[in-house]
Amino acid sequence: MHTIDIESLAVNIESEIGEPCRLREHIHNEQVLALPSRHLQRVVNILTERHGVQHLSTITAQIKEDAPDQIQLLYHFWKGTGISLLISLEKHNPTIDSIVAILPGADFYEREVAEMYGIHFNLRKHTPPLLLPENWNEGPPMLTERDNE
Amino acid sequence: MKEKITIPIGPQHPLLKEPLSLLIDISGEKVLGGNIRLGYVHRGIEKLAQTRNYVQNVHLIERVCGICSHVHTTTFCYAVEKLLGIETPERAQYIRALMCELERIHSHLLWLGILAKHIGLDTIFMHTWHDREMVLDIMEELSGGRVSHAVNKIGGVRIDLDADHGPMVARTLSTLREKIDALWEIIMHEPTIKARTLGVAPLSIEDIIKFGVVGPVARASGVDIDFRRDDPLPPYDRLDFSVVTHSEGDAWARTIVRVEEIQQSMKLCDQILQNIPAGPIDVRTSRKVPAGEVVVRAEAPRGELFYYLRSDGTEYPARLKIRTPSLTALSILPKQLAAIQVADIPVVVAGVDLCIACADR
Repeated sequence: MHTIDIESLAVNIESEIGEPCRLREHIHNEQVLALPSRHLQRVVNILTERHGVQHLSTITAQIKEDAPDQIQLLYHFWKGTGISLLISLEKHNPTIDSIVAILPGADFYEREVAEMYGIHFNLRKHTPPLLLPENWNEGPPMLTERDNE
Repeated sequence: MKEKITIPIGPQHPLLKEPLSLLIDISGEKVLGGNIRLGYVHRGIEKLAQTRNYVQNVHLIERVCGICSHVHTTTFCYAVEKLLGIETPERAQYIRALMCELERIHSHLLWLGILAKHIGLDTIFMHTWHDREMVLDIMEELSGGRVSHAVNKIGGVRIDLDADHGPMVARTLSTLREKIDALWEIIMHEPTIKARTLGVAPLSIEDIIKFGVVGPVARASGVDIDFRRDDPLPPYDRLDFSVVTHSEGDAWARTIVRVEEIQQSMKLCDQILQNIPAGPIDVRTSRKVPAGEVVVRAEAPRGELFYYLRSDGTEYPARLKIRTPSLTALSILPKQLAAIQVADIPVVVAGVDLCIACADR
C-alpha cells in the first residue's frame, strides 16, 4: 500500500486554495489538515483525483469544551495512513458543502451528522434521517448537554 | 412497460435477521432500485458512551454487535490504551487475536448458512451452522460466553489460556478444517450455488472505492485491503497470512472469498497457539485517561472497523465515534439491487453480510 507524503500534500493543497492549510498532529494514528469549510469540496477533489486518496472511513462531528460555539467536523480518509480533514463550523449556522457528488459513500455519513448535529449540507437535495424516526422533533440528540450523573 | 410497484421489506420480515426497512421498486420481475431505512435497533451508543466511565464502556461497547462483539472491545481497548500510553502484554495481544479470528470464522460460517438458506440449500445451512457451533463452543470454553465474551479489559484480557485450552482449540479446529474442506468441495461442485450466485449483482472495483466499501465485499471485487496487514494492531504484524482477493465482484466471489478467509483464520489460530508467549495478561491502569485523541482501525469480520476516541482527561470519554463496516455495505445496497431479478433479492441482500445492530449502534 502506497503511503501518502502528508507534508507535500499540505503544500500542494495550500498552493491550490491560496490559503494556509495547517498540518496538525494532535490525533494518534492520524495526520490532520485543518482548512476553512469553503474549500472542502476542492480539497476532496484534489485528494481523490491527484493523490488517489479515495477511502473515506467516516465523518466525525463533535463539540469541544474549549470551543462550545463551534461544531468540529473530521473527515477521516485513509491511504496507507490515516488523513483527517478538520473543519470548524459555527454552531448557530452549521452549513457545509456536500461531497456526495465526489464520493457517494459519504451519503450515510452526511445524513448521520445532519440528524445528530443539525448540520446543513449544501449541494444535495435533502438529508433524509438515517437513524432517527421520521417524526423525531426533539432536536439533534448530540447537541444536548452531557450529563455524567 | 409494466407498472412500478414498491415492495416494503421489513422492518420485520423473514428475509431479515435484524430489523431494517427496504423499500424496493419493481416492474414485473425486474428490480428498479431501492431505499434503505435504518434505526430500528439504534441504541444511541455513542451518546451513552459519554455517560459511562471507561471500564463501564467496555461492557457497553461489547453490545454494539451480537456477532463481532469481541473486535469492538478490542478496538476500543487499544484506543484507550493508546491514550493511556500503555502497551498490553504480548500474551494478552495473542489472546485478543485468537478470539478475533475465532469470531471471524463463526461470523463467516453464519453468513454462509444464511446464503445457503436463501438459495434453497437447507442442508448446507444446517451443516454450516452446526460447524459454527464448534467455534462458539471453543469461545464459550475460553471465556464463559457464547455471544458476549467479555475477554477484553483496558490493559489486557480477563481470561488466560490454561494448559488444556491450546490442545482443545487445536483439536477442534482440526476437525473443523476437515469440514471446511468438505464444504469447499460442495461449493465448487454444487450447481445450484453457482447458478444462483455467478454473475449476480456484480460490483465493480470503481464502485467499491467510491462507496468506501470494505472487507470481504471489497476484496471480492479485487480491492486489496485488509487492516490486519495494512494498519495492524499487535500481534498481526508478527503473524503470517494472505489477504484473499477475487476480481469477479459477484455473489459467487463474495462466497468464495469468505470460505478462503475461514481457512486463513484457522491458519492464524494455529500460529497464535504455537507462538503465544508466556507472561502476564494485563497491566494495571488508571481510571482517568489523559486528554487526547486517537483513531484506531481494525479488521472486523465484515471489514474496516473505525473508532475515534477523545478524552478530556476525566473517567468519561468526551467523544466516541464508531463506524462499523456494515454501514458501508448498506450504502451500496441500493445500487446492487438496481436491475436484478426479484428472485435474486434475498441472495443480494444476504450477500453483503449485513449486521444491522452494528450499523445502527
